Amino acid sequence: MAYFARRILRALSTLLGTAFIIFMLVRVVPADPAVSIAGPKADPETLAAIRKDLGLDDPLVVQYGRYVWQLAHADLGRSYMTGRRVSDVILARVGATALLAVTSLGIGFLLGLVVGVATAARRGSAIDVAVLLATLVGLSFPPFWLGNLLIYQFSYRLRLLPLGGYGSVWNLILPATTLAIVEFFFYARFVHTNVAATIASDYIRTARAKGAPPERLYLVHALRNALIPIVTVLGLDIASLMGGLVLTETVFNWPGLGRLAVQAVFGLDIPLVAGTVLFAAVLVLLANLIVDLLYGLIDPRVQRG
Amino acid sequence: MRRASLAALVLLTACAVPLDPPPPGEPDGAGPPRAGGVLRGASPEDPRTLDPARGYDTVSWAIEQMLFNTLVDYDAGTTIVPELAESWTMSDDGRLVTFTLRHDVRFSTRRAFTAADVKYSMERLLKPSIHSQGAEFFHGIEGAEDYVAGKATEVSGIRTPAPDRVEFRLTEVDPLFLHKLTMPFAAVVDRDTVERVGDDDFTRYPVGTGAFVLEEWTYGQRLKLARNPDYFRPGRPYLDGVEETIGVSAQLAWFKYQRGELDLAGIPPAEYERVRADARYQPLLLSRTTLRTQYLGLNCALWPFDHVAVRQAMNLAIDKQRLIDLIDGQGVIANTILPPDMPGAEPVPGYAHDPAAARRKLEEAGLAGGFETTLWTYRDPEVSLRLAQSIQRDLQAIGVALDLKPVDFPALIEAVRHEGTVPVFLLGWEADFPDPSNFLTVLLHSRSRDTNNNTFYANPVVDRLLDEGAPLLDLDRRFRLFHEAEVLIMQDAPWVPLFHPAGSAVRHPRVRDYELHPLRPSRLENTWLAW
Repeated sequence: MAYFARRILRALSTLLGTAFIIFMLVRVVPADPAVSIAGPKADPETLAAIRKDLGLDDPLVVQYGRYVWQLAHADLGRSYMTGRRVSDVILARVGATALLAVTSLGIGFLLGLVVGVATAARRGSAIDVAVLLATLVGLSFPPFWLGNLLIYQFSYRLRLLPLGGYGSVWNLILPATTLAIVEFFFYARFVHTNVAATIASDYIRTARAKGAPPERLYLVHALRNALIPIVTVLGLDIASLMGGLVLTETVFNWPGLGRLAVQAVFGLDIPLVAGTVLFAAVLVLLANLIVDLLYGLIDPRVQRG
Repeated sequence: MRRASLAALVLLTACAVPLDPPPPGEPDGAGPPRAGGVLRGASPEDPRTLDPARGYDTVSWAIEQMLFNTLVDYDAGTTIVPELAESWTMSDDGRLVTFTLRHDVRFSTRRAFTAADVKYSMERLLKPSIHSQGAEFFHGIEGAEDYVAGKATEVSGIRTPAPDRVEFRLTEVDPLFLHKLTMPFAAVVDRDTVERVGDDDFTRYPVGTGAFVLEEWTYGQRLKLARNPDYFRPGRPYLDGVEETIGVSAQLAWFKYQRGELDLAGIPPAEYERVRADARYQPLLLSRTTLRTQYLGLNCALWPFDHVAVRQAMNLAIDKQRLIDLIDGQGVIANTILPPDMPGAEPVPGYAHDPAAARRKLEEAGLAGGFETTLWTYRDPEVSLRLAQSIQRDLQAIGVALDLKPVDFPALIEAVRHEGTVPVFLLGWEADFPDPSNFLTVLLHSRSRDTNNNTFYANPVVDRLLDEGAPLLDLDRRFRLFHEAEVLIMQDAPWVPLFHPAGSAVRHPRVRDYELHPLRPSRLENTWLAW
């Protein structure tokens, strides 16, 4: 139990640190938020009035205190561009992003796991080499390029699927495929390397010598031990998946958080940038917390250590 | 040998994917306008707001113009025509403007529109808590300053002597006042709705007198407008509605257009040349130069641009035709500050592309060996950076080493306002009003140095001409003074005018009576669908 409590406390302190870094980062941006509200043509009086109204003239400590106080009340402020509550805007978009992320990660991870284990079992065979080469090529696909290629071929040329958009399962197929392909190659390669390394270890040889059947050998003995690094990477991968989401959502007209973040950055909408970054940070922290907790289940020695 | 030619053939076909045809259908045809149908458009982002007091960008204005009306508006060009006002008069001293309002106008809530609504909307716009970027345009109304400062509860200079009459008294004559009233800032909003939902949420429940009403706005996905059955212009609009898909990239919009899923679309820059050259697209292509000038700003307060000869050398050194090629021909070369469609614009002696003459000018300034400087530009890999690289090449030819500093747009706007920071910058300006002062006074008067005169140019003679022209209602005299000022500015050369960009779009063959406007987003009141 102490293990779980320690992990949760550590996550919370990381979150506070993250909030501080975000606060500082958006304030050192060499641009004036008042200009992004009032526009490039505004006169100095208007700008001064806006700065005063937003409290941008207050000392940094006062601003930080206000920021933390608002955060504690789940208030992320209002978007400069639209005047909407940042929390409302994020909540309205999170469903679309979650759907895309979970689908693509789920498919990519499971397929990667299967192919990784299967090829590790046939090390050195033609299929093994083929998969290794394919992953090398596959991992080099930038998602926006892949996305544009798929949309051109399957939506525009062949007319099999809608041209972007959101709402039905047909809209989901191409963006999820784009991201799942990238995820699949990544996990196939990673699982392959880890399972192969485990298979080469002494205890597997012992198990084999004892006459354990191959299914048990690979799925119980090898996979379970290879699982710790795989789960670790799964936790870290949430962050890179978000990078892929930004590009994929933009290409496919998918109304998610990634596209929102891009718009916020281009419009220098500081509360919205800070809000989406903080939200993403919370997700990454949560994912890592879950991974930490899973360790304890996969390998009880971790809890004691 | 055969294999090699096969490979070459494959390569060739891969490179030369032919341009797909536009959606099928007869692009023009006789017959009266047909009522009905929903026009389908796409936009890369949501409008920032639909509250007319707050919007100040093309996407917001495009939708606001369909939901709201102003007292006066522009015709297809830049001539002012009545809208909510039936007629108006101006006193001899130009300081009292009186409007007679239409009697047949209702808000989409069916409430009748009166003069009190005009006064309410103007005062709401001026309220400091609204943070309207348009408020400053109306500070010249008598009593506005006191109202803004909280010293008065109403603007004394806006009076409503009768339900169909509204008077504006101005602190001084303002030849641009009617132009200011055409801006969506001055649109008439429904007081009942504002008071019910509050100022901040009016953007989600915008209610006006316009041709359309807001039916649905699903943030990040779509925005639907429906025909306003009570609209005051009989038989308008023809369309049953408008549906905008939001978040569509330029490339995706182009695919959707070619597949017939969009009625209006922009043309991706990479396709523009091919589309323009393709006979199948000719009748569907819309293009129009706007009141914009893209320019290279030279900071007259910083060495070496404090030398006139150096600034003139820059003007002579740049190959503007290559810039036009870089923007795929979507614009015309600028030899003057004012765009050619600007009322009062006349040819001004400019500078031809002449690197030898440019080098002589540098010698004249004692800089025959050239110098190093930095060009600040908007970080946008599509256009600005390519333009900057072309300029870099031109200046290299006369011995000037130009470093490029691409930054984000808000950062660029901020940096150019500081006198000692940016030696050379690449920016554009789009007119708010079709009047020369909107370029010359706003961007080049010495008084504007703390706002938009980012070249820190100051010439007392130019200042005097601009100040003398500013209050004149007599357009001939007004334009003559501004022209004299522009001639002097071009001699002093704080700018290298580069080009006047053109706007372009394509329509579906079924879209009729849709035109691009030089100053505003197009309105869809008269647009109809043939099927």
